[in-house]
Amino acid sequence: MRSGQNPSKSGVPAYTPQRLGIALLVYIPFTEGYFKNSLDILRFQIESLYKNTGSQFDLLVFDNGSCPEVIQALCGYRDNGYIEWLVVSKNNLGKVGAWNWIFGALPNELICYADSDVLFRDGWLEDSLAILDAFPNIGMVSAQPTFHDVLDGNGTAHLALMEDHNFEFGKFHPDHKVVEEYCLGIGADDKLSARFFNMELPFITNISRNVNAVIGATHMQFVIPRSVAREMIPLPVSKGLHRAETTTLDRKIDELGYLHLSTKKNHVMHMGNVITEKLISEVNSFHGPKGGGPKTAGLVLSKKSTFFRVVSNLIKIPAVNQFFLRVYDFLYRALYADMQ
Amino acid sequence: MRVGQNPAKSIKRVVQPKKITVATITYIPHLKGYYSESLQVLKACLSSLWENTSLPFDLFVFDNGSCPEVKEFLLDAEEKGLIQYLLLSDKNIGKGGAWNIIFQGSQGEIIAYADSDVILYPGWLEHSIEILNTFPNAGMVTGRPLRSPEEYYSKTLEWAQSHDDISLENGNFIQWEIFREHVLSLGITEARAREWFESKLEWRVTYQGVSALIGAAHFQFVTKKNIIQEFLPFNMDRPMGQVRTLDEMINQAGYLRLTTCEPYVRHIGNKIDGTKDYELRRELSGKKQTGIRLLEIPIIKKTMLGIYDFIFKLYYEK
Repeated sequence: MRSGQNPSKSGVPAYTPQRLGIALLVYIPFTEGYFKNSLDILRFQIESLYKNTGSQFDLLVFDNGSCPEVIQALCGYRDNGYIEWLVVSKNNLGKVGAWNWIFGALPNELICYADSDVLFRDGWLEDSLAILDAFPNIGMVSAQPTFHDVLDGNGTAHLALMEDHNFEFGKFHPDHKVVEEYCLGIGADDKLSARFFNMELPFITNISRNVNAVIGATHMQFVIPRSVAREMIPLPVSKGLHRAETTTLDRKIDELGYLHLSTKKNHVMHMGNVITEKLISEVNSFHGPKGGGPKTAGLVLSKKSTFFRVVSNLIKIPAVNQFFLRVYDFLYRALYADMQ
Repeated sequence: MRVGQNPAKSIKRVVQPKKITVATITYIPHLKGYYSESLQVLKACLSSLWENTSLPFDLFVFDNGSCPEVKEFLLDAEEKGLIQYLLLSDKNIGKGGAWNIIFQGSQGEIIAYADSDVILYPGWLEHSIEILNTFPNAGMVTGRPLRSPEEYYSKTLEWAQSHDDISLENGNFIQWEIFREHVLSLGITEARAREWFESKLEWRVTYQGVSALIGAAHFQFVTKKNIIQEFLPFNMDRPMGQVRTLDEMINQAGYLRLTTCEPYVRHIGNKIDGTKDYELRRELSGKKQTGIRLLEIPIIKKTMLGIYDFIFKLYYEK
């Protein structure tokens, strides 16, 4: 039976999601071999997000069947206010299966997806948002120039803008360092690297706004409007991580007339599974937190008085905490003792 | 940089979501006062689900910011494979906010929702799904006969009255004991329950040999994902108290709101055992007569309620 009034009905406000929701997909089945550095790399990623994201956001981490050490570490992040929503899946649903879940569930207007080995740099959000604002029918925006066209040159959505005099198309050679970093990130051999160094990337410019973007996006990291994401699901899934399946997202986005675009600068970096001196040096150079840091992100609660804030801090002391809980228990028993 | 091939690329087959997703929301901020028995209630709820559900399903538990003891229990159940999807939310996003995520995120075609203070009996899911699949346009099926306000089932009644192939009966189709059990679980007095019981009758519909009572409740229901998604997102800015919006919307859209004719679910509230609760009350009223009498003075009661709410908010916004 119910005894007393559920305190949740007392009119306290519920949390209101931020405009931006960031979803990370984690799969670390053990912490040896390929995955030896994965937990540290995930730590770098979360740190980079909090230090380099120019607005508040909600962080969702979808764990796709990792080992207990990883779950424990994720719970630690959640307890410390870094993760807003931690989803723990008993089974690995595959990357596409997790997308089905994430795209459907995230309540935020803009969804940023990233694999769990992506480093975010200052400006990634600002440049992504500038592209989202400057071009019509955006499907995906990645914060790193796209070298590998998953649509194999068969994408058609951008062709609709060719006749529009507000937009200009062109090609450019990306900066040498950007290409070098990309090649290192994917572990490209000399032959493949040479191809990328010689490659010209197609881009599009919104003339009046002077905003340009590389044509193409990567599903290592991208921002997608929630409305577009919801149109995409459910995506078919049968394997853990399979190119033919992950590209169904790109094909569907293109077929429905939405653009794949990316920034000219490399605002995100694929860290992979190796920690280098250069990576450590970069992580150590981050300032911040830029978007407010954990715990403060998106807290939309009632305006608190000084007294409330003081008492809130006091209950962090174990003895005071016990005292308040006892008073609470006593009041509950007294107030509802005669209730039937 | 990457060295080696990501082993995830070698996974040939991944688990496919079941056709049915069973979902619940937990919110137990501490284990005192109103919530002193809530963890036991939650364990009873999930145990009944695991024991009494014979159809294949995925379980999705949305934890809306509970205390460490509750999270530990849920993580342990997930580790044992008893929970397929566990979402741990840092903050309470309200029942509406949790529903938004549950109803969008659930992968099953059929979603069976239950508050985490509900006991499920054998056959609960089968009987609800039979009604859901038999009645055209069924939108919400609760596994227990109960009465709900007419404004939330008016379209169901109109539908039944306008079809010749539907048998529609008005009568007393809920036994007193079954009615009483549910109403008392909501904290209503016995006298009020009796008064309500005698004041109204129920509507029973039969279609293609399957009977159901008209009405449903949001504490437990079975629905189809494509139907519930029509009403998303719910705009509910408080943790509780706005959920009747769902009942209204489903009725207004013309979807049927029905219940099973027999009780397959039971709301237990925040007390695992009514007897214990009665003994506690007797003990308190015996020991603290003066205190109880003092509480009858409005200003004292108001002050104590104020402190009680203040402490809850301290923990809620912690």
